[in-house]
Amino acid sequence: MTLTISAPPHIKQDTTFRKITWIKYLALLPVSLVSVYFFGLHALALILAGIGMAVVTEVVIQKAFKKEVTVTNGHAPLIGLMVALLVPGEAPLWIPIVGAFFAVAIGKHAFGGIGSYIFNPVLVAWVFLQLAYWSAMHPASFPELGGISDLFLENGAGMLVGVSPIALVGGLYLILKRYVEWKVPLFYALTTLVLALLIGDKIGHVVTGAFIFGVLFLATDSPSSPVTKNGRIIYGILCGLLTVIYGHFANYVFAVFYGIFLANCVAAFIDNNTLPRSFGEESLLQRKYRRLVNKIPLEKLGVKIDD
Amino acid sequence: MAEINVMETIPEKMIIPLKQHNGDICEPLVSKGEVVKVGQKIGECPSDKCAAIHSSVCGEVVSVEESSHPSGNRINSVVIQPIEETECEDFTPFKDSGKEQLISAIKEAGIVENYGNPTHLVLNPPDCDIDTVLINATASEWVGHNYETPLEYASQMLDSLRLLMKAAGASRGVIVLRNDDKDSIDAFDGLDYEGKTIMVAPLLGKRRVDYYFNDQNTDIIVVSQDKIYGKNIFEYFTYNVTGRKVSFRCTPASAGVAICGVKSAKAIHDLVNTGMPYIETVVTVSGQVNNPQHLLVKIGTTFRDVIEACGGYSGEPAKLISNGVITGVAQYEEEVPVTKMTTSIIVQGKDEVRKDISKECIHCARCVDVCPVDLIPNRIAALANQGRFDECKQMHVENCIECGRCSSVCPSKIHIMQLLQYSEEAIAKAYEDLSEKESSNLKLGCACGSE
Repeated sequence: MTLTISAPPHIKQDTTFRKITWIKYLALLPVSLVSVYFFGLHALALILAGIGMAVVTEVVIQKAFKKEVTVTNGHAPLIGLMVALLVPGEAPLWIPIVGAFFAVAIGKHAFGGIGSYIFNPVLVAWVFLQLAYWSAMHPASFPELGGISDLFLENGAGMLVGVSPIALVGGLYLILKRYVEWKVPLFYALTTLVLALLIGDKIGHVVTGAFIFGVLFLATDSPSSPVTKNGRIIYGILCGLLTVIYGHFANYVFAVFYGIFLANCVAAFIDNNTLPRSFGEESLLQRKYRRLVNKIPLEKLGVKIDD
Repeated sequence: MAEINVMETIPEKMIIPLKQHNGDICEPLVSKGEVVKVGQKIGECPSDKCAAIHSSVCGEVVSVEESSHPSGNRINSVVIQPIEETECEDFTPFKDSGKEQLISAIKEAGIVENYGNPTHLVLNPPDCDIDTVLINATASEWVGHNYETPLEYASQMLDSLRLLMKAAGASRGVIVLRNDDKDSIDAFDGLDYEGKTIMVAPLLGKRRVDYYFNDQNTDIIVVSQDKIYGKNIFEYFTYNVTGRKVSFRCTPASAGVAICGVKSAKAIHDLVNTGMPYIETVVTVSGQVNNPQHLLVKIGTTFRDVIEACGGYSGEPAKLISNGVITGVAQYEEEVPVTKMTTSIIVQGKDEVRKDISKECIHCARCVDVCPVDLIPNRIAALANQGRFDECKQMHVENCIECGRCSSVCPSKIHIMQLLQYSEEAIAKAYEDLSEKESSNLKLGCACGSE
């Protein structure tokens, strides 16, 4: 009889990174199918071009730097798919190819690969394409939610991802199964909706496919969001705030992407400032309050504090 | 209330390690060929940091040699071939004895906490005064240790607490139950003890035992809290129950608290009422065995005999684990004995054994969400991996209770718990190496009575 020796723990959850990424494909499959139905076979070509280029880029980079090739964990093709979903339906084929290359090469590997990048590679590519090839990336129309039917098939969709908001609810399944965490999407969605209502923006402009995609798939990208419990709440609120600021003055589709991209910048900063205390004693507000009070030179002002 | 079976079969061979506690190894009192009786002392303490070892069976000493130990090391052990007859030492009860007698009796009886510290050192630490005794009854496998009824369990446990308080010279005692352990809570709730009615009080938020001591105006209370498990829970447990902080690398004794388990409380009760030393214990056998159960076994029985008493393996075993599936130690062989520190034996089949390779951390924050003491395990693990131990210390790595939940949920299969342990050890080493002069501005040493 042979017995295995290993360090504890001896039971582990069978959730792996590979599993999480491949489940995300399932969640994105419906919206991809609807976009192919809506935009025709050109959309399929865009998606395949994105995925293909992402895979090629990852393999070439990892071979060139003599690293283990990790395409099978599904992360690079997922980036390619997401980049393709963010381009307009009538964009030329080289747009997702350039985008996927930029996302994987610059967005992901230049920063150190999985877990090390600071910006969501999909958004890096989108911002790059938006700034470099404005005319090709500007969608023909911006969606507006008019009725229930628009939830299923949005006729005003400009981007692939905007064709059907309801097809993206697979993301909710990811949250239910705890493959992605819930604090960021919840607070992001709440903040955006509440603020948009407060300043009187039309909710039909806010709730688009792009917004739901941003909430469920882009903001929850784990390496580019904070890890502390309070930090994730603040990050969600910040995403919402930035989205509404941009969206109020321009449009809510671009606002989602720019909002999350800018919130990525401060994710590490949020993390460093929300580290919990010993045994998680004080809440964040208490600590901020204490820090503020400590700065007041009470002793110099002649105030005595009794313990 | 869990049913406890008694292991009746007499095994062919008993291995009694001469070290079943944290501290110094005992010196053997017997040699090859001698005949020993049940309860006969076979290991003598060379120092105070030690607990005596007794024979749990009647038989002939086959050899005194190095043998495997559930901790994974090889320890000098007494191997005994038991015989059918049971001849016992004369046990004398210790009714009405004082603190000193109780402490020395506990030491002589070799009573050890399930986490390894000899009970007499826990109750009577050198240079420290204990004012509160806690009985940790939050782990279900120790509850119902060979009691007929829940009522007997509850009243005996209160008697034991009284004894522990007497031995420690403490003025207050607390029994801590688990929130979801309805059996035990029902057993204690409404019980009349020394003219007062016991009420099980939940520990909520900042409402800790001090509040209930004042509220109920008594010196013994029963409280309940969430289950805490882990190898190193004492600082957190002390904080959670009493609100006192234990300084880094200090024992709860420095905060005036002694923590005992149900097993040792029961053993002390037996010692005082019958005079029997600590020679038998309850282990929970689970996993790929035909008849999983709670079994009262004699200390020194090998795992193989215990599993045979449970009906044998129900498949090809691939992993044999002592003391819990999350924090336990995987065994090299079946020929390891049950010791005073063994609480459970788990057998895993081939398909349950996972072989994973650690990957990069993806900052998914699952470990942050499961951590019971609010650490950021992924960040501390990364810092420990780079040898940045001072930063680990700033992030309160010493609070880690080594429960292993972070490693268990990690999708990248990083050995987070081991990295945290590693940094904790490194920090402790750095503290030890500091000379007196250099450390003058550091808070060192475990001064007693400090808050």
